[in-house]
Formats: sequence, C-alpha cells, structure tokens
Amino acid sequence: MKEVLIRPELCMGCRSCEIACAVEHSESKNLFAAVMEKPTPQKRIYVEYVPEYNAAIPMTCRHCEDAPCTTVCPTKALKQDEITRVVTHSTDLCIGCWTCSMVCNYGVIGRQKEARVAVKCNLCPDREIPACVEACPTNALVFLEVKKLSGVKRTEAALKLARGMQGKAL
Amino acid sequence: MEEKNLYPTICPYCSLGCGFFLEIKEGKIAGLSYMPGHPVNEGSLCPKGNASTEVLTHPDRLLHPLLKTENGWKEIGWEEALSLAAAKMGSTLKEYGPDALAFLGSAKCSNEENYLFQKIARLLGTNNVDNCARLCHASTLTGLGKSLGAGAMTNPLSDLENSDCIFVVGSNFAENHPVISRWILRAKERGAFVIVADPRRTPSTWLSDLFLRLRPGTDVALLNGMMHVIVSEGLQDREFIRKRTLGFERLEKILSEYAPEAASAITGVPAGDIIKAAREYAKANAAAILYSMGITQHISGTDNVIACSDLALICGQVGKKGAGIFPLRGQNNVQGACDMGALSEYFPGYGKVGDKEAAARLKKIWAAEKLSEKPGLTTAKMSEAAHAGKLKALYLLGEDPVNSHPDSLNVRKALEKLDFLVVQDIFMTDTAEYADLILPAAAWAEKEGSFTSTERRVQWVSRAIAPPGEAKADLEILQGFAEKLGLGLEYRDAGEVLAEISRAAPMYGGITKERLLQAYGVSWPCPESGHPGTPIMHTERFNTPDGLARLIPVEYRLPAESPEPAYPFLLTTGRTGLHYNGGSMSRRSSFLLEKEPELFVEINPSDAQTMKIEEGNNIILETRRGSTQAKARLTERVSRGVFFMPFHFSGTNMLTGDALDREAGIPEFKVSACRVRRV
Repeated sequence: MKEVLIRPELCMGCRSCEIACAVEHSESKNLFAAVMEKPTPQKRIYVEYVPEYNAAIPMTCRHCEDAPCTTVCPTKALKQDEITRVVTHSTDLCIGCWTCSMVCNYGVIGRQKEARVAVKCNLCPDREIPACVEACPTNALVFLEVKKLSGVKRTEAALKLARGMQGKAL
Repeated sequence: MEEKNLYPTICPYCSLGCGFFLEIKEGKIAGLSYMPGHPVNEGSLCPKGNASTEVLTHPDRLLHPLLKTENGWKEIGWEEALSLAAAKMGSTLKEYGPDALAFLGSAKCSNEENYLFQKIARLLGTNNVDNCARLCHASTLTGLGKSLGAGAMTNPLSDLENSDCIFVVGSNFAENHPVISRWILRAKERGAFVIVADPRRTPSTWLSDLFLRLRPGTDVALLNGMMHVIVSEGLQDREFIRKRTLGFERLEKILSEYAPEAASAITGVPAGDIIKAAREYAKANAAAILYSMGITQHISGTDNVIACSDLALICGQVGKKGAGIFPLRGQNNVQGACDMGALSEYFPGYGKVGDKEAAARLKKIWAAEKLSEKPGLTTAKMSEAAHAGKLKALYLLGEDPVNSHPDSLNVRKALEKLDFLVVQDIFMTDTAEYADLILPAAAWAEKEGSFTSTERRVQWVSRAIAPPGEAKADLEILQGFAEKLGLGLEYRDAGEVLAEISRAAPMYGGITKERLLQAYGVSWPCPESGHPGTPIMHTERFNTPDGLARLIPVEYRLPAESPEPAYPFLLTTGRTGLHYNGGSMSRRSSFLLEKEPELFVEINPSDAQTMKIEEGNNIILETRRGSTQAKARLTERVSRGVFFMPFHFSGTNMLTGDALDREAGIPEFKVSACRVRRV
C-alpha cells in the first residue's frame, strides 16, 4: 500500500501540511469558512520542533501493522483494513475513552473536545494524494510504497558514496 | 457536485510568484486549489499562501472612503473623497510647490498601478516617489546595477536545482520563502554542496553542509575572506575575468588584507570554514549565491551586494545554467514596483532621473512638457522632510510605515506633522490611523494587472471576485484622482496601461496582457513582441554600456551602532515562517496567529541566565530610539550577545535605527545596540 512517509531531513518546519490537513478535514474544505466552523476543524499531522537537534519532524499516523489502537478500542470504532492496512475511525462508534491515545506510540491520535471523539489520519479517502503530501513545498512528505521510498533513498545514498570515492568533498 | 469555478492567480505574499487556483462559487471565495503545473511551486504553497484567502473575506476590510472628523471617522462617497484628495494635493502644490508633495507606492500593488502612481507624481512636477524596496532591496538595485548593469535576479528559481554549490548568505529562505527549499533540496539530492552563512541557526541552516555563523554586519569581511582564498589558491576563472570583466587588479589589491585569519577575527567564523566554503564555491561546475535582507539591510548594504557579485564574477559563476546571483525579494511585486519607476531616482525601466535622454523619451510618451530633473526624496528622507516642515502632503498606497519603517516613534511624529495624508489600503493599519482620508482598495484577487516576481517573471492576475463594499481597484482610484487633478490619464483597463509600460520600460517592450495570459507569464528582458523572454541573464554580455561586468573592491566597515556598555547587546531583526512584514495581512489570519500570537525575542540561554531571565518572561528592550515589551524565548538559535526579534508586530521597529546606506538609502534594520530588563 501507499503510505504517507516522512523524510525528516527535508522538513523545514513550515507547517503547510498542518493547515492543509485541517482544511481538508473541515466541513467546507475552505480555510476561511473552516475557521468559523464548530467544531473547529483539526489537523491530524503535527510538526514537532526538536530544539536539541534543531529539527522539525512531521508526525502522523503510521497505520502500523496490527495497530495497537485498533486492538484496544472497546467499541471497534478503530478498525484496520486487512489488505490495505489503513486504520479508519468511526465517529459514530467512538465513545471518547482515549484508550487509543494511551497506546499510540507516536501520539498522533488527537481529541475532538466538542464532539468527544478521537481524531486521526484517514489518508484523505476522497483524494488521490493526501492533502498534507500535496501541500508540502519541500517533498518532505511523500505518498509512496515503502519499497519505492527505500529505492529512492538507496539511489541517493549511492550517489553520496560515489561522490566520496571521487574525493570531491574536501 | 456543486458548480465551482477555478481562477488562476498568483500568491500575494512573498516574491516567488507561486501560482494557485481560487475556487469561486456564486461570486464568493469557496477555497483554493493547487496548480501542479506552475513552474515555480509545482502546486505546493507555504502556510501564508494556504492562508491567503482569509484576507479577502476578512471582516476588517475597509468598505467605504473614510474622512477624519472631530467625532471620528465618517463614511463619505467616492466623489467627495476623490475631490477632496485632489483639492488638498492641488492646493499644496500651488502654495508650496511640487516638492511639498510625496507619493509612496506599494510593492503589493500591480505594475500598472505603480506605473500610474509614479506618473501622477512626475506629472505634478516632483520625483518624490518611492516604494518599500527602499527598505528591503534598494541596495540590490544599486549594487548589482553597478556591477552587472541590472539589479535583478539572474536566473529562474527552479534553476537552483541545477547548481552544484549553493551559497546562501543572509537569507532564511526556509521560513520566508519555503518553496525555495524545494529546489535547493533537489540540488542536494543531485549531490550539491550547500553553505549557509547567518548569525542565527535557522531552519535554512538545517539543510546546510557547512554553516558559517558570522557576527551580524560582517558580511563583507566574510566574502572578501573567501575571495582572498580563491585568488591566493588560483581558483579564480581567469578566462572569464579577462573576457567579461573589468577591474580585477584593483580588487585583488584589496583582498590581500583579508587573509582567512583576519576575516575570521572580524566575522567570528573559523578560518578553516572560510577556506572550505571558498574552495567548494570556486570548484563547483555551477555555483549559485542566494541572498536576502541579511545582506541588504545594512549601512553597507550596497557594499555587501557588490561583494557577493564580485565573488560570483571572479569564479565565472554568472550567465549559465545553475550559476547566478539570486536576491530574494520580500513582497509579491517589489521587482515590478522598481521596474515601474516607483523610485525617487529612476524612471520606468531604470532611466536615471536627471538623464536627458531618459527624460526626453518619457516626455514624448506622456506628452509632458517638463519633468523634474532633480532626484526626489526616498522614504526615509520623506520622514525627515515632514519633520522639517518641507513635506506637506503625502499619498500612501498600501504602505504601513508605522510598522515597517525603522524608528517608528519618529515616523509617527512625522506623519502627525503633515498637513494632509491620504492612505489607500485594504485594512485599517496603524499608519491609516494618522490619515485625513482613507480610500478603500481592492485586494489582489479583486482586480486585474501584472505582477513581477523576484525571478523577473511577469504574470497576469485576473479579477476573480468583486471587491467588498464600495472598495475599488487601485487603478480605478488613481485614475479618478488624476482626473480630478486635470491630468487626464484615461485608460480603458490595466491592459492598456501595460501597453504604455511596454513603450516606457524597454525590458517590458514585448510584454502584453494577451501574452501574459498564456502559460505562466514571461521573464523580462523581453524587448519586442516576438522575443521569448530571458530566463537566464548575462549569458553573452552584461547590461553595462560595454557589455563587461565591473569588479569593484569594497572594504569592511563597522555597522552604524555597535554594542557598548550602556547598550551591551546586538539586536537583529527578521521574519518568521508564519507571519509577514508589518502583519496587517498575516495578523488577520486566525490560522497563522494561532501559531505565532505575539512579539517575542530570542535570547541565548547563557545570556538569559546571567540576567535571570526565564523562558516566557515579559522583558523590556531598549535602544536609543525607544523601548518595547516582548516575551523571552530562550534558544541556541542566536549566539551570545545577540538578540533576534521578528518585525511583524508593532514593537520591533520602535527599536531599529534609521542609519542609512549612503548609496541606496536603505536603513540598517539588522544591527542595533540594545539593552534589556525584566518587567
């Protein structure tokens, strides 16, 4: 399956993804109207600044294999598709117990206070490419299969190695 | 599905000229969608671009002309407003002469609007016309103008992808122009080496292979130091120097004083890093220099720009793919406002005021009998003249000097001194509070016209929606004003103004509305109709009379202010990722404001410790000009002894000084001596 994969080394911390995500998950899908909506539309991707390393890292749902959030959900509001591995969330079934948030290793399950339901990445089912990926100006977010990304990274690493062998970098 | 219409448009924030579509439903904004085919941004937008539609529908928009009365603002009709503006300006002209009038144009307005604006000023007999480029890139115009013959970016932004070495000096592009990162990262994927020189550790420095943390205001020493290494190791491009430049011997002489150790003592950058940077830059097949306000906003701004240009020229890194000089402008139409001659010393197309030939050409096009031969007042000098009682009436087009000019308390006093101030804007700004008359203008998507991006790409913006209330397109307002003055500037639409521009400014010679409506605009110079435009400049010859670039030696000079016992810290200013300039637009976006709600000052934790300042404390900063309150943010991003403040909130420019670059007249926003205490 294609996933939202993150290339943390490319992220400049501009937060375009956060805005695009919130707008995509609003009623109106338009920024101006979205601000006025109740409940306020929420983002499902979080750019975290790590001061010690001077880095910004986007964090979003990984749609883990055997996702712990789905196994602990008492009402089956969180479900994982066996084939695509996409973890979806049903607001109708959610009772707002936050057990999913407790077990999520990445802290990417948010909380919609007004409606008392969990909020997490659903890979933008209405779109070909998730909104955050499309918004990212630096391609720090990519929508690819893991295998494909690994290939891209291998090519880049090989290039760096080749450069080193040439003795170009002083 | 509901019917939505897509209107192509250009982002109104920074100068990159990113394209996107406005979604319009029943005459109202219904959202925006990306434009994947656009050559600058390939669809993506930064947070400001994403939030840009909020400006259009904001409840604070000015809806009617407003007249200041004893009982506050009074709504008046357009007829009355324009008659009043013309009557006041006209009577001032009659009583005190043309130089008692001044006009401040807008880098947010279109080419046509700026063209008409400066034309009105000059037809009234004054060259007192300027725009905010004076505060960000005036030194680029003078510096690159002297050395290359054209004060503009040499290559398209996307060409950065083809560079093997990118040297960024004084630019935090990752926050201020995030889309640039896209191209630099692509170059890196191809194996390019990236050097970032900055006093602060910014998101732009994260991607560098080599980070040179220099002291604010020491850029010339760094650049001369690098050139010293290049020349002493014989890495310069001898053939390029011989064939395409003049003045190498004089430059070489001065460089002898900037051995890496000497440069290191001034800049604080280790000598080894200066050597490494010099070698990487000089040895690259194609190397680019990228700079911004960290270079320009100094009393040595012109010198800084020239030093950048010298470095590029001695290495032959101009005029080919992936190699060039990339000054990043700050506003969507800074380049255009300057091209249009909204400058006190230049006519449209950069004919010098005082040059007989340039004046003769314009006189013919404008059917004008006489044009003033005396260069006018720059923005800073306008303030001075107002204080001295020489400037009586000022017409401000989309400018907020109270927030964006240095030494803002002084600016406020100058505005109070004026007999008459008219402000044309989309919001009530801090400056507009001082106006006698406010004219409500249209925002970018509510009018048509051309805008010139930092890479010289001229693009057309069509009207997508109607302005709110009685607000009008700036062109329409200016035409109405000119008519009342009896100047008779009649044009059917912006396209017709552009047709005149193409005659007045030679590099716009072949640019017409029809052409701009096709395929993402045209890059000037485009001298005649069949010309395809010029993405890369200086490939064969430079824009100087003999076609040769000038190598100009420049010496390091101390900033106007240095820390001293009474004011022991060095304050530098800049932008953050989520806000924009004086903040009149971005601070009205709830999305952006949520993330960056108030004025802060970055302080190094060890400085904070000695002064017992903790994270989040309210502190007072003072300079010789004034004092302001801000929240302390403790971070290693700044070195010891250096503070950083963003200039998006009204407090910052109370502190900055008005020392000016002697050639370009740009103020030194980047260095002020300051002190601090807890509230």
